[in-house]
Amino acid sequence: MTVAGPRTPTLLEVEEVGLAGDPGGGPPTSTGRILGKLARDKAALLCLVFLLIVVLMAVFAPLITKLSGWGPDEFDSGAINSDLGGVPHGSLGGISGEHWFGVEPQNGRDLFARIVYGARVSITIALSATVLTGILGVVFGLLAGFYRGWVDQAISRVMDFLMAFPALIFMIAILSSLPAGNRPVLLVVVISAFGWPYLARVIRGQTMTLANREFVEAARASGAKNVALVFREILPNLRGSIIVMTTLSVPGYIGTEAGLSFLGVGVTPPTASWGQMISSSVSWYSVDPMFFAIPGTFLFLTVLSLTVLGDKIRSVIDAGEAT
Amino acid sequence: MLAGLVLSGTLVLSACSGNAAGGESQTSAGPGGPAAQGGTVQVLANAAFSHLDPVRGFDGGVNNFYRLIYRTLTTQGAAPGTEGTKIGPDLATDTGTPSDGGKTWTFTLKDGLFFETGAPITSADVKFGVSRAWDPEIGIGSPYAKQLIDAPASYQGPYKSGDLPTIATPDAKTIVFHLKKPFADFGSVVAQNTFVPVPKGAGAGTELDSKPIASGPYKVSEYKAGASLKLVRNDKWDAKTDPVRKAKPDGFQWTFDLDGATIDERMIAGQGTDVDAIAGTIQAATVARVQTPQLKQRTLTGLGGCTTYMGLNTTKKPLNDVRVRQAINFAVNKQTVRDAVGGSTLAELATSIQPPTVLGRVDYDPYPSPEGKGDVAAAQKLLTEAGLTNGFTFTLDTRAQPKMQAMAVAIQQALKPLKIDVKINIIDTSTYYEVIGTPSQQHDAAITGWCPDWPSGATFLPPLFDGRNIVAKGNSNLAQLNDPAVNAKIDEISQIKDVNAANAAYGELDKQIMALAPVVPLLYEKVLTLVGSNIAGAYLHDGYSGGIDLVSVGLTDAGK
Repeated sequence: MTVAGPRTPTLLEVEEVGLAGDPGGGPPTSTGRILGKLARDKAALLCLVFLLIVVLMAVFAPLITKLSGWGPDEFDSGAINSDLGGVPHGSLGGISGEHWFGVEPQNGRDLFARIVYGARVSITIALSATVLTGILGVVFGLLAGFYRGWVDQAISRVMDFLMAFPALIFMIAILSSLPAGNRPVLLVVVISAFGWPYLARVIRGQTMTLANREFVEAARASGAKNVALVFREILPNLRGSIIVMTTLSVPGYIGTEAGLSFLGVGVTPPTASWGQMISSSVSWYSVDPMFFAIPGTFLFLTVLSLTVLGDKIRSVIDAGEAT
Repeated sequence: MLAGLVLSGTLVLSACSGNAAGGESQTSAGPGGPAAQGGTVQVLANAAFSHLDPVRGFDGGVNNFYRLIYRTLTTQGAAPGTEGTKIGPDLATDTGTPSDGGKTWTFTLKDGLFFETGAPITSADVKFGVSRAWDPEIGIGSPYAKQLIDAPASYQGPYKSGDLPTIATPDAKTIVFHLKKPFADFGSVVAQNTFVPVPKGAGAGTELDSKPIASGPYKVSEYKAGASLKLVRNDKWDAKTDPVRKAKPDGFQWTFDLDGATIDERMIAGQGTDVDAIAGTIQAATVARVQTPQLKQRTLTGLGGCTTYMGLNTTKKPLNDVRVRQAINFAVNKQTVRDAVGGSTLAELATSIQPPTVLGRVDYDPYPSPEGKGDVAAAQKLLTEAGLTNGFTFTLDTRAQPKMQAMAVAIQQALKPLKIDVKINIIDTSTYYEVIGTPSQQHDAAITGWCPDWPSGATFLPPLFDGRNIVAKGNSNLAQLNDPAVNAKIDEISQIKDVNAANAAYGELDKQIMALAPVVPLLYEKVLTLVGSNIAGAYLHDGYSGGIDLVSVGLTDAGK
């Protein structure tokens, strides 16, 4: 009892020291500071604006298509020429006041509506996969880095195995052999299963360094339990790495989803997906190039924006850590 | 036969629609002109042949090809239109002499028939070839020999069970078949590939798949499975014995495994040896590009002779209710289904089960709607009667192929106003027919096709709708329709001795079956093919899925 008495204040003290340090030195990952820096960068701002548009499109897809007048699965036989193999009427793939981005050949589905709904699929899958890989990567990375020994051995070997695996081939094999079921969920699970080791590796390495730093030693010496050490001492200091790694992985997952859909193992029709649209546009490139150009442009700009943004965030954080 | 495995069939509008405009006067130019002797015809193909062994392969593509290297007792004609599907003698001197009320059929072989080895073709070789159809591993092709010819129940082909006693060969020129029951159209049956002669004792296992023994005008000189195939003249073949095959070129060269878009690009460009090339149907995206007069002159178009349909599994709820099946028949928008496969140039809307190329077929529309766009009101009325105002859900099996998926989506969309929720189940192309042909694995509906093996209802309606043909594996009665009245009618028609009367009766049976709505006839797909500028003598053959008749095609200028 007498031993326990003085222990509690010490722990509080340590925490107070940590908290007190916040306003003064400013942790390198302060959200406000990052946002401030990004807002002053024109390229980053442009990317942010474009991503905001895409996200809003995805969120308000039903409202937007109500405005434009055509749902994503609605056929419009009048907009295509059945005698010419189903090529859209009019120039530029049938772009008109009726169909803002033109129509899909052979069935006359509105491309604008499909782009908007396709954004939903891409973003939902990419973000869910990011969250899942984030959780898996951080948890396993922390465990391996903090406990070392056999835990590290086991987790690291699993990571080596997954990273050495030809992931894309395996994903295609898994997705085409599994029954249709709930495709988006399957896609998220499969993408995450192969994605987490990349984050976990970085987290493990940083955890190992952090675990030996003085403030962790101090906390341990003052009797903090392992859980407290991991969540209160180490995790906050990994924030920067986690933000950078996950931001940079989102475009990768969007690309992977589009790639899998392109290869025919993505979401099932009639669900709209950018990858699937690009896949079906391939044979139409010479008669209806807009069918390829529109989803291609959206996919390109989204991936580019996310990559540029991730890069900017990293440089801001790196600069913060350096000071 | 299954349309997907093939695309076999028939065709009606004969060759060149484009040629009709300007080609007739300048007879030497264009694909319809007379072919010169010599040269090599190039064939660009997407998929390789399933089998070179005549007892194994059974689809429009190989059937057409087999005529180049094999001969049968009788064969189809070599001309555009219905002339092409008329059965005439080939190895035999006539189309057979029935006796015993049509239960026994006798054929006599011509003189001067030889294999590529130089050995004479005897009736024993024909018998040996036919008896291979009973081998459980080899006889996976045309089923008619096994179905019609009487044989001991335990007979398993010549390699396992030896001689088949029920086919008699009294001398080297005569062959006598004894059937299980009278069959009036047996003269058409012996045109099937199972009646190709095979030298006695040869062809065990997969031997003929790699090295066929030719009896026709060409023999295989080089075959790389899945890549290329080269045919050269078989000098043992005597043109005097063969009134059907013109066999003008000196050889054929197949290139397999080419992408559909690549084939179209090569055919449009027409460079190098591609001027001597022929290919299959063009892709939907290419239709708009072949509308120029220069290219149009090089196109051939006609019906493929098959019916593409959606089978409705009559054993599943609520599709077991005839009103529900009729409602679906009313509601499906065939226009959008047609656009999904490439529009009006690549398909016609189907109304009856049998395609227009089948003899005795009646043109009627049991579930009419304006321009085939679907009659939702009529469908809704039937569903209300069936107590399904709030709709239902069913699973539609389709192949993992863009065209098939697009058709499924069009059907899904057309049934949405009825609150029918169609779940599309995509099955890998290689296992598709196995899955839907297994009643325990098939779902509520499936999109598939069927082509007649010869243009008669006998090869169309009984395989698809005879309730006694439902088997646990390899089932073609997808609807699992087992209607006593339909079964009785099938038996009744099989007794009719006059082939024309039987075909007319099948036309009426078509109506009787469609009243039960076990399938939704979707499309009669068309062939639209582009040939090289040096191709001559080309027309689409009604009997081979609208493929270019290979025994007549040749080059305008063989020295080019």
